[in-house]
Amino acid sequence: MHQQPGVDAYAVHLPAYALHDNRLDAIGPPRPGGPVRSVAAFDEDTITMAVEALRPVAAVDDPARRQVLLATTSAPYEAKTSAGVVHEALGLDPAVSAVDLRGHRCGASALDLVVGSAAMTAMADLRTTRPGAPDELAQGDAAAAFVGGGTRAATLLARAGHTTEILERWRLPGERHDRVWDERFTADVLVTAGLDVARRALADASLEAADHVVVSSSNARAAAALRRALRGSGADATIERATGFTGAAHPGLLFAAALDEAQPGQTILLLSATEGADAFVWRVGTGVRAARGGPSVREQLAARQTVGYGRYLRWRGLLDVQGPARPASPAPASPPMFRRSGWKYRLEGSHCDACGKVTTPPARVCASCGIAATGQPTAKVSLRDKTARVVSTTRDHLTTMPEPEVVIVVADVDGGGRLSTYATDVAPGDVTVGMPMRPTFRRLWTTDSIHNYFWKLRPLLPQALSGEGDR
Amino acid sequence: MASRRMVHDVAIVAMGCTPFRDHWHSSADDLLVDAVQECVGSLPAVALDDIDAFWVGTQGSGMSGQTLARPLRLVGKPVTRVENYCATGSESLRNAAFAVASGAYDMVMATGVEKLKDSSYSGLAAVYPPADGTDVDWTAPAGFSLLAPAYQQAYGVGAQDMRSTLTKVAMKNHANGALNERAQFRKAVSAETVENSPRIAGQLGVMDCSGVSDGAAAAILVRAEDAYRYTDKPVFLRGMGFVAGSGAGLAVDGYDFTSFPEVVEAARQAYDQAGVTDPATEISLAEVHDCFTPTEVVLMEDLGFSERGKAWRDILDGRYDLGGALPVNTDGGLKSFGHPIGATGLRMMFECFTQLRGEAGIRQVPDARLALAQNLGGQPGSCVAFVAVLGSQR
Repeated sequence: MHQQPGVDAYAVHLPAYALHDNRLDAIGPPRPGGPVRSVAAFDEDTITMAVEALRPVAAVDDPARRQVLLATTSAPYEAKTSAGVVHEALGLDPAVSAVDLRGHRCGASALDLVVGSAAMTAMADLRTTRPGAPDELAQGDAAAAFVGGGTRAATLLARAGHTTEILERWRLPGERHDRVWDERFTADVLVTAGLDVARRALADASLEAADHVVVSSSNARAAAALRRALRGSGADATIERATGFTGAAHPGLLFAAALDEAQPGQTILLLSATEGADAFVWRVGTGVRAARGGPSVREQLAARQTVGYGRYLRWRGLLDVQGPARPASPAPASPPMFRRSGWKYRLEGSHCDACGKVTTPPARVCASCGIAATGQPTAKVSLRDKTARVVSTTRDHLTTMPEPEVVIVVADVDGGGRLSTYATDVAPGDVTVGMPMRPTFRRLWTTDSIHNYFWKLRPLLPQALSGEGDR
Repeated sequence: MASRRMVHDVAIVAMGCTPFRDHWHSSADDLLVDAVQECVGSLPAVALDDIDAFWVGTQGSGMSGQTLARPLRLVGKPVTRVENYCATGSESLRNAAFAVASGAYDMVMATGVEKLKDSSYSGLAAVYPPADGTDVDWTAPAGFSLLAPAYQQAYGVGAQDMRSTLTKVAMKNHANGALNERAQFRKAVSAETVENSPRIAGQLGVMDCSGVSDGAAAAILVRAEDAYRYTDKPVFLRGMGFVAGSGAGLAVDGYDFTSFPEVVEAARQAYDQAGVTDPATEISLAEVHDCFTPTEVVLMEDLGFSERGKAWRDILDGRYDLGGALPVNTDGGLKSFGHPIGATGLRMMFECFTQLRGEAGIRQVPDARLALAQNLGGQPGSCVAFVAVLGSQR
């Protein structure tokens, strides 16, 4: 298959929460107009955010031809391939390979690999600093997804790369936070590399300048200098001040935000200055509006809820608080996870040929009519993209999760099937009988170093869309 | 459905029950020995060796029949361990009853025990087989708290009325338990105490939950025709139903959390065998599984004591009080007597046995002739349920 390099579809997942204030002993409101960081909920990680980002676009085109790449600096597992979980949750064909990319530059590398092939990528990161670090509010959590093998969203006109070995941000295995070298030195190196690749890429594309300039850098000082030098509008900096630098996801997040706003036919210079630099020059595709999966970056930013600093610290495990006198939630076991992957990762129930009811989890014998499926394997039906309505609900005040209470719901899926699961991204008092909700892939808990992933339910619309906005 | 009276009628001729407590100084072995000694000791002509076969029910305090054989040093006897969630004690009695009813044995013993307080957790902790990790890690109160909002929704019961009903259940059972020296909590409680207790799950606070305790109970069963050889006040097993639910309530849409269908069916079987056609008027007293306050509300309807949607009203009106038309949980129930899983079903039998013999003292229900014991385990939508009707007459 030979095609023009480009992006056929894209999507972003921004967590539902934002942190405005990181003062431990805050008196009075935070500094107006100060930086805000995007905060993944306690039940999100790189894998779950990657799944949420890829979900709306993963079905584009024939999946059997693709690779799925997961680019991150915060993989939930050290040795295990995280992209494998993403692959399973998306229900991709086993012939599709699952690849992890690591390191601060890997977001740009993933995009580079995707545009030239029929692969897809999620660039996802979850970033923490020590509490009170100077850049605590300048780091953030996000995921962006891109599907190659077409040019509906954008055609790649030119690209240029520049590798520089530089000690800028680093972390040893087992350490939680990046260490950072004096940013004045590293900014100098990254600006030089960035300007070099921007000039080369624009020249290759036969352009004096691009209509939109998007700069992503692990070094905020370098980002500011490059935006100035390349005469960007500052739209990218505005997004960044609302999310923080989102690591491997950042070039993807800012590029997606530019695609959300750009007109077909316009050009975009995307520059990532991290451990060297990568520049991409794009022409926005005529199908760009249809190429986006899910809500725009701007819509997702507007729908966020504020999270307090104490809650953020608990979620990240940075504040060790006393939980209930209750044993840890049980670790899942490998063979049952493998046997029931259709249910666990893709939320598939079984459909009864005799009575038409859906049984969850899937079973050989229908829970409604008691008739066993014969011959053929039991028919499966996926519930993960359907709406479910709450039948009854409770608030568990003795949860092992890093929250004082979590909501549990039993909900009936439109078209059949019942889910008993946790609600998420919603204030406990706001869940009511009859409320419509939608499945979202989350990490339930981690016991014995095994991350336990499954589906929760979240409100159909983020709460803030129907009520208050950012507070 | 073939659920018949047994070939031989069965009678309980003796029972024992430890106080349900924080038994810090007793092991499960000690509690079993205490319950069995009280039980056997009440029949002057019977020694432990006269019993042909034994059942022991426990959820997590022992494995195999040796749970009972070892502490009692039984020699050459068959002992079967059974487990059926919180209906474990009932399951022990049910299987023991079948053994004498079949004619295989002349005299058998059912026992149940649980030691919950040694774990350092204040709720229940159970070990389940390796799984895929997709089940909600429910606490028991969380599972049962689903009943309240669903019941309110179905019957248009306001928040204040529902709260008052749940509070009344707790107050009633504590008031009964206060009269019972074997109960774990021997203090009447006020509405304020119930309603201000720390929240556990949904609307339920600590005082909406049953007592976590240690305890054991035992019963000696014989064929009915032999009963008067051992005691002049035997209690007869008139009917018995048991259902292990298919779990459909959580696996397909439709179930609305306002009922335990498993209880309804088990009750139907038990009433049918006992010849009870109007339980609301024929039953003298009932011991029911008040693991959490909303459970007792729903059970009043499932057992046919109240009309659908009306139990909350009947509870507030005092129908199920000790002096009411149909006293429920006269011994304090799980709520104040305590709930050591494997012993609870037999504890319910113990109160029925005591009341039907007219030996309940200040708790005595006048002219008690027919008693009901109802016991369940699991959670709404997916439970196991036991119902028995016991009588002072054969």
